[in-house]
Amino acid sequence: MYLDRKWDIVFWITAAFFVGAAADITRLLFAGDWDFWVDWKDRQWWPILTPFATIIIPSAIQYILWAVWRLPIGASYTAACLFLASWVGRVYQWQDFVNYPLTLIWPATVVPGAILMDFILLRTRSFVLTSIVGAMVWTLAFWVANYIPLAAYLQPVQFMGHVLTVADVAGIEYLRTQTPEYLRQVENGTLRSFLDQTQYVSLVFGSTVAVGGYWIGQALARFIALWPVGRGIKRL
Amino acid sequence: MPRLAFGVALAVLLTITTAGEVAAHGERAQEGFLRMETVAFSDVSFSTSTLGPGQNLTISGNATILDSWPETLGEPKVGYVNVEAPGPVMLMKDRTVNGMSAPDAIFISKGQTYAFSMTLVGREAGVWHIHPTFAIQGAGTLIGPGQWITVESGGGGTFNNSLQLLNGQTINLETYNLAQLTLWHWLGFLVALVWILYWIIPRPTVTRLAVTSQIPLNSDGHEIGLITRRDQRVAVWFAIGTVLLLGAGWVYQQMYFPVKIPLQVIRLTPPAGQTPPRFAEVQVQRADYDPARSTLSMDVRATNSGSAAMTLASFTTSTLTFVNPAVAPAEHMLVADLPATLQPNESRLLRLTMQDVVWTEERLIEVDKPRIDIAGLLVFKNTEDVEDRVAVRSSVTPKLFP
Repeated sequence: MYLDRKWDIVFWITAAFFVGAAADITRLLFAGDWDFWVDWKDRQWWPILTPFATIIIPSAIQYILWAVWRLPIGASYTAACLFLASWVGRVYQWQDFVNYPLTLIWPATVVPGAILMDFILLRTRSFVLTSIVGAMVWTLAFWVANYIPLAAYLQPVQFMGHVLTVADVAGIEYLRTQTPEYLRQVENGTLRSFLDQTQYVSLVFGSTVAVGGYWIGQALARFIALWPVGRGIKRL
Repeated sequence: MPRLAFGVALAVLLTITTAGEVAAHGERAQEGFLRMETVAFSDVSFSTSTLGPGQNLTISGNATILDSWPETLGEPKVGYVNVEAPGPVMLMKDRTVNGMSAPDAIFISKGQTYAFSMTLVGREAGVWHIHPTFAIQGAGTLIGPGQWITVESGGGGTFNNSLQLLNGQTINLETYNLAQLTLWHWLGFLVALVWILYWIIPRPTVTRLAVTSQIPLNSDGHEIGLITRRDQRVAVWFAIGTVLLLGAGWVYQQMYFPVKIPLQVIRLTPPAGQTPPRFAEVQVQRADYDPARSTLSMDVRATNSGSAAMTLASFTTSTLTFVNPAVAPAEHMLVADLPATLQPNESRLLRLTMQDVVWTEERLIEVDKPRIDIAGLLVFKNTEDVEDRVAVRSSVTPKLFP
């Protein structure tokens, strides 16, 4: 029993680095700038891309932990690891080393959505239902959890003769030499918005996209992580 | 093992001793002919080379989107005037283009000259290489002439990035809302940590595989004690707690920040600069380049179609300006074989010679590139002190054999 618990500790601590790195890399690949800069955290693209990018690895780990150990904490564990990886990166690399203020580069959190998604899996015991309901809850919780700290940066301010948000001003003031402003993909007006409700359309669409992200994570877990291991064990 | 250690030490030593100093921003990295055919920077000036934290530095100058803009780069439509610097060592406090405030990107077009002015504030002490830049959507960033700027730690200034909101509150943008943000984030993390520990501390992890492999995937194993009714009850409370936490946060932000606006995008077309009267007509008949002597020669047919005498003042290409020494002394010189002053209606063939090692140093004309070209602005000035900038472009015949 003592030996078992030692292996448990080794597993959870070791896995934290891999899981955190995998989640962070996936997020950076698919939603790097949106998650990175405060002046990219808009109401049109951010709720679509970042929930999709951040649900992939939590979904994969959720499947693995449920299938292998019946632990409904895969998404929460991934979210916690991602949380630590993000904060370590932003504080030590980007604030202390490069000297950007955290006001510009604070990371988004997916922790509340992850807890709720794990809860949904525990109650439904179904990955199909979790993918549909859980991914929608994930997206909604992502928006609520991150809009709360973002609200302060959406205060209006007069700058260079224009009314901008605090977030816009931070993006202009702190030099990003190889990131011209026109690269910023944020809401810029479209005739195709539904009754002018960009935010709600984005949340609904983001939820749908997150369902797809969830199943990408499931595929990773089933066919790249567990299936080869299972084949190997059978051979033994 | 000693061999390995020796090998590593040797590799480190060779790397350190052979590596060149890196102290710029790759302004010579782009191909020379592209730099010359795209944007010409002229009259770039820095208001000071030394300042203290919180003190101002103004960078001003002109950037011309040349008519010789290569079609391979796409039509230039959106641009962004900015600064190339090693990180946020300074803050951008004001930016105008042709007198118009330009916080964001601007609409641009070929053949236009954009007079820019940027006011920066020293933030981080050190010696920094600073360039103005002109980024063009779809093409990339063109880098203007740079200068070393010293931000002295004891330079008499104090850095404080305060900003007044429209509600009258003054904030410090370096730290604004960080306490609440950090508290909120870590509160959520704490909930997740307790949730995770609840599941992994009281029960084994690794050894559960032997049991879980015997039950279907959609079973929680409650019949064999894997997940109990108590676990389900605890999970419900965690879910309720998480929702309540989100609700409380939402109420908080609505109470404390009732007025919010979405992120803003400012896209404007700068007013056209005053169109100067055109009085110079130029045709480049031939251009030669001698790499060994780093010398560019151009045969130029210049015609004065104006009503006042005009003089060839300079040639601007990329970040360089070659000045006619008969007009003013300068670092880079443009020498004409005949007097470069033309009377009204006079036409003359001038042989312009620019012998300067900068052609080689800046990698502007290189014979191993797919296009061996020269492009830039020939600037003529008449007796009424009016300038006419004529864009020229020509292929160059390199001297490949001695």
